[in-house]
Amino acid sequence: MSGSASKSVKKVPTYCYQCVAGPDLLTVTVEDGVATEVEPNFACADVHPAAGRVCVKAFGLVQKSYNPNRIATPMKRTNPVKGKDQDPGFVPITWDEALDLIASKLNQAKSMGPTDESGYPRVAASFGGGGTPTAYMGTLPAFLSAWGPIDFGFGSGQGVKCYHSEHLYGELWHRAFTVCPDTPHCDYVISFGGNVEASGGVCGVKRYADARTRDDGPGIKRVQVEPHMSVTGACSTEWVPIKPKTDPAFMLAMVHVLLHEVPLERLDVDFLRDSTSAPYLVGRFGFYMRDPETRKPLIWDGVTGRAVPFDTPGAVPVLSAPFLVKDGLEVGADGAEWRHVDERCDSAFEKLKAHVKDYTPLWASEICGVDAKTIRRITLEYLDAARVGATIDIEGRTLPLRPVAITLGKTVNNGWGGFDCCWARTLIACLLGALEVPGGTLGTTVRLNRPATSRQASVKPGEDGFMDYPMNPTDRDNWMAQPDVRNANRTLIPLVANSPWSQALGPTHLAWMMQDDAPDHWTKSTPPEVWFVYRTNPVISFWDTEKIGRTIARFPFTVAFAYTPDETNHMADVLLPDCTDLEGLQLIRIGGTKYFEQYWKHQGFALRQPAATSPTDSRDFSWIATELAKRTGLLEAYNNAINRGAHGVRLYGKDWDFSLEAHREYSVEEIWDASCRAASAELTGGAETDGLDYYRREGYRVTDFAQLDWYLYPTLKDQGLRFEMPYQERLYRVGKQLANRLHERGISWWDKQLEEYDPLPAWKDYPKLWEDALEANFQIDIKDYPFWLMTSRSMQYAWGGNADIQMIKEVADNVAGHKGVIMNTKRAHQMGIEEGDLLEIASPLGATKGHVVLRQGIRPDCLLMIGQFDHWKTPLAKTYHVPSMNKLMPMLIDLTDSTGSGSDLVKVKVTRLKRGRGAGR
Amino acid sequence: MTSLSDLRAATAGGDSLPRWGMIADLRRCVGCQTCTAACKHTNATPPGVQWRRVLDVETGDFPHVTRTFVPIGCQHCEDPPCMHVCPSTATGQRADGIVTIDYDICIGCAYCAVACPYQARYKIDKPLFAYGRNRRMNNEAQREMPERIGVAQKCTFCSDRVDAGLEKGLTPGVDPEATPACVNSCIATALSFGDLNDANSNVSVLLRENKSFRMHQEVGTHPGFHYIWEAGHDEGTAQEMLDTGYEPSEARDEPLRPIVGGVEPWLQRHWDWRAAMNFICGGTGAGLMIAGGFLGTMGGVPQTLVTLAAVGFVCLGLFMVFLETGRPLRAPINVFFHAATSWMTREAMVGALLVPLGLLCFLTGWGWLSLPAALLAAGYLYCQGRILEQAKGIPAWREKRIVPLIAATGLTEGLGLFTAAGALFFPGDAVLAGAIVMVLAAVARAVAWSAYLRALRRGAPTLTLRVLNGHAYVLLIGGLIVPLALVTIGVMVPAFTAWVLLAGGLAAAAAGWILKFVIVTKASYNQGFALVRTPERGTGTGGGAGVGIKPGWS
Repeated sequence: MSGSASKSVKKVPTYCYQCVAGPDLLTVTVEDGVATEVEPNFACADVHPAAGRVCVKAFGLVQKSYNPNRIATPMKRTNPVKGKDQDPGFVPITWDEALDLIASKLNQAKSMGPTDESGYPRVAASFGGGGTPTAYMGTLPAFLSAWGPIDFGFGSGQGVKCYHSEHLYGELWHRAFTVCPDTPHCDYVISFGGNVEASGGVCGVKRYADARTRDDGPGIKRVQVEPHMSVTGACSTEWVPIKPKTDPAFMLAMVHVLLHEVPLERLDVDFLRDSTSAPYLVGRFGFYMRDPETRKPLIWDGVTGRAVPFDTPGAVPVLSAPFLVKDGLEVGADGAEWRHVDERCDSAFEKLKAHVKDYTPLWASEICGVDAKTIRRITLEYLDAARVGATIDIEGRTLPLRPVAITLGKTVNNGWGGFDCCWARTLIACLLGALEVPGGTLGTTVRLNRPATSRQASVKPGEDGFMDYPMNPTDRDNWMAQPDVRNANRTLIPLVANSPWSQALGPTHLAWMMQDDAPDHWTKSTPPEVWFVYRTNPVISFWDTEKIGRTIARFPFTVAFAYTPDETNHMADVLLPDCTDLEGLQLIRIGGTKYFEQYWKHQGFALRQPAATSPTDSRDFSWIATELAKRTGLLEAYNNAINRGAHGVRLYGKDWDFSLEAHREYSVEEIWDASCRAASAELTGGAETDGLDYYRREGYRVTDFAQLDWYLYPTLKDQGLRFEMPYQERLYRVGKQLANRLHERGISWWDKQLEEYDPLPAWKDYPKLWEDALEANFQIDIKDYPFWLMTSRSMQYAWGGNADIQMIKEVADNVAGHKGVIMNTKRAHQMGIEEGDLLEIASPLGATKGHVVLRQGIRPDCLLMIGQFDHWKTPLAKTYHVPSMNKLMPMLIDLTDSTGSGSDLVKVKVTRLKRGRGAGR
Repeated sequence: MTSLSDLRAATAGGDSLPRWGMIADLRRCVGCQTCTAACKHTNATPPGVQWRRVLDVETGDFPHVTRTFVPIGCQHCEDPPCMHVCPSTATGQRADGIVTIDYDICIGCAYCAVACPYQARYKIDKPLFAYGRNRRMNNEAQREMPERIGVAQKCTFCSDRVDAGLEKGLTPGVDPEATPACVNSCIATALSFGDLNDANSNVSVLLRENKSFRMHQEVGTHPGFHYIWEAGHDEGTAQEMLDTGYEPSEARDEPLRPIVGGVEPWLQRHWDWRAAMNFICGGTGAGLMIAGGFLGTMGGVPQTLVTLAAVGFVCLGLFMVFLETGRPLRAPINVFFHAATSWMTREAMVGALLVPLGLLCFLTGWGWLSLPAALLAAGYLYCQGRILEQAKGIPAWREKRIVPLIAATGLTEGLGLFTAAGALFFPGDAVLAGAIVMVLAAVARAVAWSAYLRALRRGAPTLTLRVLNGHAYVLLIGGLIVPLALVTIGVMVPAFTAWVLLAGGLAAAAAGWILKFVIVTKASYNQGFALVRTPERGTGTGGGAGVGIKPGWS
């Protein structure tokens, strides 16, 4: 409805970064000072890959601002006893009182030193949403940087809810924190549980929709391999309902078909030979055969007919032949070396071929519950679609065109089996030359490698002809025997590196588990003296949520930046209402390449600005951060951190300097004005210095981003580097060294994880691994739990922290499954269960209740609960009575893989409690 | 109200006028509901009201399953049933095809809602707020729309945006400022909007280059909303697709289920027991008037009293439906605005003559007035039948054989009441004759019922048939066999005449009442949604378009 003449109507540009697939740009219509409507930002239609559109979540932001359940003022807890059953007795206090209270706790901690008697930081912080809270916390990162050691390792979803193995191995193999197809150029995608239409953001949705309905040729074919038909399955060409956690077997069978059932010439032999380690020779102990002199891995040179170092000029590597190495050296763990003379050995390629010999489609079919013919057909279709030998011109450079990709989803690419799937996915891309080339499998961004702003710049030559990787040391001298944070990320997970993201990518559940019990030869963990929590609700969003709740209740001082009451801040000591999405001021980077499918041809900055006045006494996050810095005596370090760009943009450059004076206290607007000026200068090489007013008016500013930088292959070619595929010699060595270190300390509870450091992953019966773990830990008979319970992301809710937004609930309920637990129709009828019946769903750990939603699109042995609910405190959401699997999933070392991740998967049984109302959905 | 083609013919420029239409490309839609949310923002609809929404339709049996997302809402039909039925002319149609509602005229009778085969219309009777009655948010206060309370509302194709854009020289469907919010917001670019009359417009090109269908074409509405399902030129006609497209529901080997995902027909809630009471009381009153008018001439029964009773029934029925209107203060006037096509207006008009005439008959004692009143009553009965028949959104009502059924049962009910009351208070030949005529009317009713049911079995919601079949015995046993037996006994055994005619008359009437109550409130499953084709998803094995589905239909 258009406004009447008397109304003042304006449109305010801002951004939405509620989910990891953002940021996206939008405008807010403001009538008489009240935000009323969200709209796409049509002005950036030519800049933003999804033409300036935002997804349904952004439309919840108006209600988020005016939600009557918002916390209106700072609050202080008056009941010292914490717990689910306790009334916190929150009472309103002034901002001064709240900040003084927090500062006194911080100053007390500071006076005792940054770490406690266990060596762990006294201050901890948990932020949810896959890193998105930084787009809303203003200059808080600068305060955290000024503070010093902080434990970011208490997980709120990561590990079990994220693409964990993909993050770590993806960064190792191709600078891919997440992975996606080059969708616009891709013709064939096999998606193992990937759910891009629900969680790939507006760019993902648009790119795939465009690919399905191409004007200039056949649309993309996508085969969706997953136990239930997700939204993405719905939008796919073919659905293959596979048994949960058997994806590695399917993929190993694909590798078998490619290596044993089709001629080698059908593969991209050039790519394998020149851009991978396939020709590297492997010794009898499983390590590369090296040149004793240079210690470089050997290849068999087809020109000279002998083994030479891999980078010998003029050498033409041979993939398969009988290799006899006259003089070679194997370098094992902890400096072990073996010299070999006249040694017969295989290439990594031959090792691989032998490795998958028995992994036939017939073998996989029994494991996966998928017909062998289907596996073979899909593999051969995929091979045909790869168009090995084709090229394409991108911005003047000729690159291979390989329009095939495999994508992995949550529960496939994390937890046990995640390594296998990530490896097989990357390997298959290599077999067809489809890694990091147009049409193929691409990385999106880096979070563990540095610099974070450029995948290309993060590529540096390392040992053995591969990219360097910031692996945490495992050698005797440099291994971090004493963890510096409670989840022991750098101690246990060499791959997790040491970037600002590394703590959150450690085994974050260990931080919680060890609050109760420490395993053998491990120090029991201390609780943090001050815990900050923002935009996350681990009591709902993690696994074994009842346990998480009990643990949080024991934390002595919790500061929650709080929007409404929720299950986590129910245990807090102070609640601070910050300005929400449409109320705060902040500049962030946009563009370039980012997950999940954000491939821009531009890069730059966008501003989030107040579209409406908050109806509460909330404060801008940067104001809060400045106050905390001031009250803890850290103003100078804080301002310097801002100058360095801890909040998103460095304030000085070659020809410009908008640095803050170290001792001065700045207003929110002054900080962001300087930031805007620096951003303008950065984008224009110092030619323009437009400040806050420009960004308030325009909303964003960008410069060009080369499409060539979507691909990493050119960078590797230019630097003469190879992808570290197929053979994982480096990881094999790292695993052995880590085993040595742990065993030296008497630690054996990580042994199962150490087995995963396999140079070529062999199939392990992952479903049975789950069943065995549950039987061993709960003394149950697994036959009593006949269903696999899984979850699936919901575009309407994922990462949004918006379960309490009425409009989101209303529209989400249009998508089947949001009102209960999804079950196969026929199976339900066999059990006498009808649509809408109330069920109890029980795992060995606990039970939950929900109405059943009957669908044909799910395996009969599976149940599905979309999203994360089970709220008992969050207003409105607690009235939904929608189940969540989170409190049914035990946190167990047995269910933790070597990267420190678990999976959303548990076995359950169902009992009908009462007849439903007919319409469960 | 004239149809779109009439409008066009009457407007200068003829075909050069735009015909605004929308396209949903089912190959692209991901069911995200962003359009639903954008519509709610732009049109400030309250909780639970979704002028635009997206269905999540699952078809097939595991593991051969297809799941399709289908945007729905007002289809802005070329021949909109909602407009024809509207008694107040609140629902109209612009020359550019947009179907409109004038909130200031609408009486909130919800006739349009049951006439719409697309379930596109909403009516709320009190302000609704997202977080509760006393917790109105600033944005809700800012956009409060009291004019929409108690009246029909639906998608407007964002006509205010279209008009404002046109005034600025913008092109709807191309320039966002002139384009409906749902289309603007669609993250999959599945929705398109534009001028179907312009051969070069975005929508015309899309329709030319792709295969598409329109929903529920068999109802004859000619929607302005098209669904693309496959690339390439249309080869078959829409009728061919209809003939061959739908997968028969019987193929599904599973028990009947109630509402699934809001796709299968569900029981309409717009007309409840109050509306049913209008058909019950109005039909009975009209039947009584006819009985009194004709049989009263035989003497023995005071015609004026019968007429008064008949008028009372009719008035009670009208009062009941008056209670159901959202805007009762407007209703008594505005209901008369649309005699051209609305059978509700015509019923009101006939009623407006019938009631005073009946009263005059009673007040003056001029029994002969009951004869013209009886003729009007026959018209009233006919109107009632046509009211239901005109409600194209309810398959159980729109079947044309409902008209004789409603007429026959009204007559039977009136005669039944005449017989019952007469046997008790005014025994005599007239009553006996009434009883015999009543039996004949009941036979006619049974025949009409049988024909009606047979017609429905050719295509109706399965749950409608289940309900109607489940109540067939009421009509046959209670409404035919019992009255027939009792009247026969009454004729044969004079000692029992009074009591058995009383029982027989009441049985015949009651069966009709139950029948109409069931038809209006229990068997009134709506059209539901159907797809002429499921869409192709990309290219290759398994991705082709599928046969059509019409969930929940026989």
